[in-house]
Amino acid sequence: MSISFEDVASDVRRIVISGRLDMPGTDSVAVQLAQLTAAPKKAVVVDLSQLRFLASIGIRALISSAKEVQKRGGKMALVVSKGSTVMMSLEATGVDELIPVFASFADAEKAVLA
Amino acid sequence: MPSGFDELTIRANGEEVRRASDWLHARCRQHEVPEEHVERLLLCLNEVLANVIVHGGGTALSEPVKLHFETSVDEGRGRAGVTVSDAGVAFDPLSVPSRASPKTLDEASVGGLGLVMIRRCSDWLDYRNEHGHNHLTFGALWNVQ
Repeated sequence: MSISFEDVASDVRRIVISGRLDMPGTDSVAVQLAQLTAAPKKAVVVDLSQLRFLASIGIRALISSAKEVQKRGGKMALVVSKGSTVMMSLEATGVDELIPVFASFADAEKAVLA
Repeated sequence: MPSGFDELTIRANGEEVRRASDWLHARCRQHEVPEEHVERLLLCLNEVLANVIVHGGGTALSEPVKLHFETSVDEGRGRAGVTVSDAGVAFDPLSVPSRASPKTLDEASVGGLGLVMIRRCSDWLDYRNEHGHNHLTFGALWNVQ
């Protein structure tokens, strides 16, 4: 389980999460994710393309982060591989309709800066 | 596809959920359950066990949780089911009304997502409470060539 970030432009932060966002995995990264999405960048892209499993506890953490970003007038998007288990979790809960999902970082970056 | 069943007993905690996931994955592979259905069963298992841990109360955490896996083929239909038995607070997830999907992020609630996922990822659900234990079964169905 790992979480890392990179500030790729003046207003965009890319956060990469790999491993499993199940109960122990989310417990280990939730605080960092909240801190990284809280400030200071306006737009955030959370890259889940290396994530192998996404349970509802992980989705809750993503929703909370997206709400925080939105509260300060920014946008958050996700990068997810099409047809993956992670995409299945997002579709099953309808969260793909609430937080924009893209197959590439470039497309996600364009969307959060639009 | 070979029919059969298997059982596992775990404690109710996060690390044991991973052990249960590995066990279910291995059983599904052994019984040639198609991968897309394995993924659905694994999601359901994680959510059911998370509910036991978070909402089951002290008895759920102190008593063992039993898992029963069963698979079969009948008239060209494959079927795999998992029953989770726990000693926690009685809870029938089938009694909870389905809620409308939120249309915006503002409307989105962070609670209740596990139950939504269980309903969407399973082809059937069954619940009974016997002798002070919850027994929740979820499963997947598919066509066998």
